[in-house]
Amino acid sequence: MLGTVLLQQLINGITQGSLFALLAISFSLVWGLLKMVNFALGEIYMFGAFAGWLIFTYVVQNLLLALAASFVVGWALGWLIEKVAFKALRGVPHIASLVCTIGFSFFLKELATAIFGAETKSMPSVYSQTAITIGGANISWLQVLMVMIAVVMLLLLQIFFYRTKIGLGVRAVSLDYRTAGLVGINVDRVISVAFSLSGALAAFVGVLGAVYYSAVNATMGFVPGIKGFTAAVFGGITSIPGAILGGYLLGIIENLSVQFISSGWRDFIAFIILIIFLLFRPNGILGKKSKL
Amino acid sequence: MKETIGSFVRRYRIYLSIVGAVLLIVFPVTLGTPYLIQVMVLVFIYIVLASSLNLITGFTGMFSLGHGAFYGIGAYTSAILALGLGLPFWVTMPLAGIFAALIGAFIGLATARLRQTFLVFGTLAFGEIVRIVIMNWPDLTRGPFGIPGIPAPTIFGFSLKGYASYYYLVMVFMALSVFAIYRLYHSRVGRAWVAIREDETAAATMGVPVFGYKILAFSLGCLFAGLAGAFYAHFVTYISADQFSVTESFLILTMVAVGGTGSIVGPIIGAVILIVVPELVRFLAQYRAVFYGLLLIVVMVVKPEGIAGVKAIFMRAPGSIGFSHKRKKPAALGSEASQ
Repeated sequence: MLGTVLLQQLINGITQGSLFALLAISFSLVWGLLKMVNFALGEIYMFGAFAGWLIFTYVVQNLLLALAASFVVGWALGWLIEKVAFKALRGVPHIASLVCTIGFSFFLKELATAIFGAETKSMPSVYSQTAITIGGANISWLQVLMVMIAVVMLLLLQIFFYRTKIGLGVRAVSLDYRTAGLVGINVDRVISVAFSLSGALAAFVGVLGAVYYSAVNATMGFVPGIKGFTAAVFGGITSIPGAILGGYLLGIIENLSVQFISSGWRDFIAFIILIIFLLFRPNGILGKKSKL
Repeated sequence: MKETIGSFVRRYRIYLSIVGAVLLIVFPVTLGTPYLIQVMVLVFIYIVLASSLNLITGFTGMFSLGHGAFYGIGAYTSAILALGLGLPFWVTMPLAGIFAALIGAFIGLATARLRQTFLVFGTLAFGEIVRIVIMNWPDLTRGPFGIPGIPAPTIFGFSLKGYASYYYLVMVFMALSVFAIYRLYHSRVGRAWVAIREDETAAATMGVPVFGYKILAFSLGCLFAGLAGAFYAHFVTYISADQFSVTESFLILTMVAVGGTGSIVGPIIGAVILIVVPELVRFLAQYRAVFYGLLLIVVMVVKPEGIAGVKAIFMRAPGSIGFSHKRKKPAALGSEASQ
C-alpha cells in the first residue's frame, strides 16, 4: 500500500519536476549571460497562465494554441523587462536591476489582480483520463503529455543553443561578453533574445502549471518563481543540465516529503534546500566551480 | 530646483524641525480625526521599519527581502507573551525586540557571507519559512486564525486605548529610534558599516572586522523591526501571519529605495510617501499596490539611489555613462566594482 502511494508521489514529483526544470532553465539562461536574476519570472509564469486561461475560456480548449499564446505573452514581457530593468541600468551595480525586477514582480502581480480580480479561476482540465496504471498508481494523459512537452522543449533548447547562430552567440556572450563583442557578435541583441526566451519559457510553463493544478490566480506565480530559482541553485545555476537535474530532484523530494509530513510544510522543504545550498554549495550539484 | 530645496532645508533645518515637531504634537488635538491619527500611527511605525532596514541595506549594503518577517516575529512574540503569560507591554515590547535581534543575528550569521543577489533570495526564503512556521504551529500561534484581543499598553495605571494617546506613544518611540539610528550612523560603528558598503576588501584590509559588523547591523536592524512589531500588535489588537508576508518586506524595501538608500531622512520620506499618498488620492488607494510596484520601477531607472539617498551604492561603473543604447558598443554589462 505504501509502495503504491510512494510510486504515485514519485510520478507526481516527476511531473512537477518538469515544470521546475523548465523554470530553472529560465533562470540559468539569464544568469549565465548577465550574472543577474529576473525576479519577475514567477509573475511572467502567472501571466502565461492567464493567457492560456483566456484562450481556453473565450476561444477554444486547445492546449497547443494556449501554449503558443503564452509563449508570445512571455516573450513580450521578458523583452520589456530587459529594456527597462537591465538595458537602462547598464553599468549600475546589479542590485539596482534586481530591485527593479522585484518592482516588476509586484507590479505585474497587482496589475493582474486589478485586471482579472483577486479570486481564483478554475482552469478547464484536459486530458485528465488515466493513461497507464503501474502497480496501482495512476498516470493521467496530462502527466504523460507534460513530461513529453518538457522533454521536447529541452531538446528544442539544445538545438537552439548548438545549432543556431543566435544560440552560438548566447554561448559566446556567456563565456566572455567583451571578446564576444570584439568578434562581431551583437551583444545587445543576444541579451535581448535570451531574456525574451527566458520569459517565454516561464510563461509556457505557466500554462502547464495552470492546467495541472486546474486553477489560475494572480498570486500563483510567487511560489513557482522561488522554486524555479531554488531548482536552478540546487542543480547548479551555471549549467543547463544542472538546472534540469535540480528541477526534477526538487519535484521528487517535495512530493515524497509531503507523504511523511503535513502538506502545510510543502514549501518549507524548497526554502530550506535553497538556504542550505546557497550557504554550503552555491555552485549546486553540477555547477562549475566559479566564484559566485 | 532640487539644489535650492536642498540648500533651503539645510540652512533652516533647526527651525524646520522645530516647526515639524510642533505640528506633529498639536496634530491629534487640532485636525486629527480618528482615521487621520490611525494613518499617522502607521506612518510612524513604517518610519521605524524603513529606517531599520536602511541600517542593514543603506549603511551596510546588504539587501534584505525578509524584513517583514522580523517585524512579524516582534509582533507575535509580544502578543504571545502578553496573552499567554499576562506580562505588561513594557516587558513584552523589549523582549520582542531582543528576540527579533537574536533571530536576526542568527540569520545574519548564516547569510552575511552571501553576495547581493543570493542574499536577497536567502532572506526571502527565511521570511517565507517564518510565515510557514507561524501558519503550522497552531498551539503557539493559533495558525491561520491569527491572534485577536491583544491588550493595549498601560502607563501608570492608565490604559492607552484611545488613538490619540497611542499616537504620542508611537511618536516618542519613532523619534527615539530614528535618533538612535542617527547616532549609530555617526559613530565608529556607523563608519565601519559605510566602509564595508563602499569596499568590503578595503575595509577588511584596514582592520574592520567585516563579518562581525555585518551581523551587528543585521541584528540591530532586526531589533528595531521587532520593537516596531510589538507597537503594531498592541495598536491593531489583532495579528495574523499574512500581515507579515513578503509583500510587507517588499513595501519596506520600496520605502527605503524610493526615499533614499543610505541617508537618515530617505526612509522617512519613503515611508511618508508610500503611506500618505495612496490615502490622499482615492484612485490610488484602490490600486495602491500597483502604484508601489510602478513607483519602485520608475525610481530605480531614473534615480537608483532614491530621492534623498547616498549616490555611492549605485555608482555607475567607469566608462558607462548614461543609457547604453545611445552608445555603439556596451563597455560594461554590470559593474565590476560590485562583484
